[in-house]
Amino acid sequence: MTDTPLDFGDPADLNRLRTEFRTWLAEHPFPERHLDEPVPVFLHRWHRLLHSGGWVGLDVPERYGGRGLTALHQVAVSDELGACGAPGVPRIGYLAHALLEFASEDQRLRMLPRMLAGDEVWCQGFSEPGAGSDLAGMSTFAERRDDHYVVRGQKLWTSYAQYSDLCLLLARTDREGSPHRSITAFALPLDRAGVTVRPLRAANGDDEFCELFLDDVRLEESERVGSEGDGWPLAMTTVSYERNALDTGHLSKYGLLVERLRSTVRERADTLPDGLRSEIGQCQVDYEVLVAHARRRTAERLSGQPAGPESSVDKLLMTRAEQRLYETALKVFPEQLAEDGGELFGEYLYSRAASVYGGTSQIQRNLIAKRVLHLPSSGRP
Amino acid sequence: METEEFVLVRDLLRSFATRFRVGSADDVKPSLGAAAQEALGELGLAELRRSTPPAATVQECALLAEEHGSLPLATSLLGTALLAPELLRLVGVPAAPGRTPTIALARDLRFPAASPSPLVAWDSEGADEALCVLPDGTVTAVGLGPAAPSVDLLRTIRTALPSQHVVGRLDPAGHLRWQAYALIVVASELVGAARSFVAQSVGYARERAQYGRPVGSFQAVQHLLADATVLVEACTSASRYAAWSLDHESPQRALAAARVAKAEVNRSAVEAVYAGMQVFGGIAQTWEHIAHLYLRKVRVGATVLATTADLLTVLAEPEATR
Repeated sequence: MTDTPLDFGDPADLNRLRTEFRTWLAEHPFPERHLDEPVPVFLHRWHRLLHSGGWVGLDVPERYGGRGLTALHQVAVSDELGACGAPGVPRIGYLAHALLEFASEDQRLRMLPRMLAGDEVWCQGFSEPGAGSDLAGMSTFAERRDDHYVVRGQKLWTSYAQYSDLCLLLARTDREGSPHRSITAFALPLDRAGVTVRPLRAANGDDEFCELFLDDVRLEESERVGSEGDGWPLAMTTVSYERNALDTGHLSKYGLLVERLRSTVRERADTLPDGLRSEIGQCQVDYEVLVAHARRRTAERLSGQPAGPESSVDKLLMTRAEQRLYETALKVFPEQLAEDGGELFGEYLYSRAASVYGGTSQIQRNLIAKRVLHLPSSGRP
Repeated sequence: METEEFVLVRDLLRSFATRFRVGSADDVKPSLGAAAQEALGELGLAELRRSTPPAATVQECALLAEEHGSLPLATSLLGTALLAPELLRLVGVPAAPGRTPTIALARDLRFPAASPSPLVAWDSEGADEALCVLPDGTVTAVGLGPAAPSVDLLRTIRTALPSQHVVGRLDPAGHLRWQAYALIVVASELVGAARSFVAQSVGYARERAQYGRPVGSFQAVQHLLADATVLVEACTSASRYAAWSLDHESPQRALAAARVAKAEVNRSAVEAVYAGMQVFGGIAQTWEHIAHLYLRKVRVGATVLATTADLLTVLAEPEATR
């Protein structure tokens, strides 16, 4: 990470964008979530509304349907959404970055505008029953036959696959080679023959997670993203961006809850125990540190540094902020525990997954030790 | 400053630090401190914030403070070269010729309370008076008494004489700026200390063998150092962002960011040094080893200007900064 002064953007320019966005928000009220409307369907309506105003993919070049601004503009929009209590930013930043870096020009021109507009919803098919954080253990296989591939295997934890059109799929294309060179990425249409999507009920009651069964699914060569064997670096790029709270839209979500906790400090000034007040202050520190950290990493990225192994630091900081925040929220609103089924308790349960998804906290520590600190190998695989 | 110019200034400070670093607690002697302070004075860093507009940005000053914290130095860069000149600049008063002020803090090293509480001249190596900012923004100068004992062996603290005279007054915005600047500079030095000590312990983990292999190859040690790295990066992001905010944003927003940075550093710089000490093992408990110099600096530093309890109470309240 850099050690010379960082450029966090031109405040006047960013403030202009904020004002423009606030004006737009005032004219476009948030959609109401219908009774029994699944969260992803509701968020998808929100995504399309935001896109209609030009508020999706601010840092994506214009020829791919974005606005050609910088990632700092995207931060400002995320900030504003959090501050006004809006639903989160569409979580497509990390997928868009993977396509920007690895897809062919033809694919970028075809896929990115539709992804940004919400015309095509994407999910991510990386994990497998036998390989979660350990991508090298992947066994889904794409067999090459002349001009196409035939894929067999099973994926797990593909979030909201039942509401998605396309899956960024990883499969092996070589049974022998090292995983770093034998995994290939594909854009798999989920309505393709041989694809079965089965939702799993999660601990919080949601049906976010899905299993994906792939039985002799035909994929065209043109549906391959990058070259054969590019799957590993593509996955590393994707998860690097996924580990920055900014790219996943988590910052605005946390900001909203922190503000809610802080307003109870004022409302319940006489009855709130001092210990809990400090804990809320600590949540505010964690959140603001995360914002500062996301901005610093964004500034570094703009100065030309890729989101490298340091993104494991981002993920651990995000996990720290999220888990403490929801832990504290349950103390501030204990009725959520007594009544059960509250939305907050569901989110609290999900916060426990923060140290598992996208590579467990233990994996992140291994990555920091090996790839950031260059500590000696333990001599075991 | 242009980036190239800043890199030059920082490299000057870096080679100064390598030359005058304290090898162990036994090196901390008044004669050596005075010589090092004189050499530091010759670098001319006190000029960086004296003019309006200043020659160096807050971001650049914060990075110099990080640099000063990274090796054990018994010099007073923060008090005499960064903090006191900025305070005089904000008050609009030129430095008295031939005088080297530092800043005065309450006896518990927090921001001074209403007068007349007992004061100390903090970071007073080479200083001959101390400037005190009262809660209403009044700035006074106090004379220096004898040296006071300090847990932070690298930092000279002297008692302040009871009589003081008014130097000037900070306007409300200037007062916010002053608090933010002081918090940022102090936090940044601690960031530098934590970062450097963790890096030194990583180096040690690569070399030190136990059970026939380097201790850094054990996953338990790797995870300890990975966690320390996360803490150091969190401190770095928070303090550098706060410094940027003071250069570019309103003083209210900058002060909020500075409080966040100090709160993060208070907690995490200490934790990171604990992790480093654990890696160094028993040797870190000896008087000769530099570990306790770092621990003393960050542990005392966590109470300087504002404690975690002070900051969390304020930060828990919503403010109108957006």
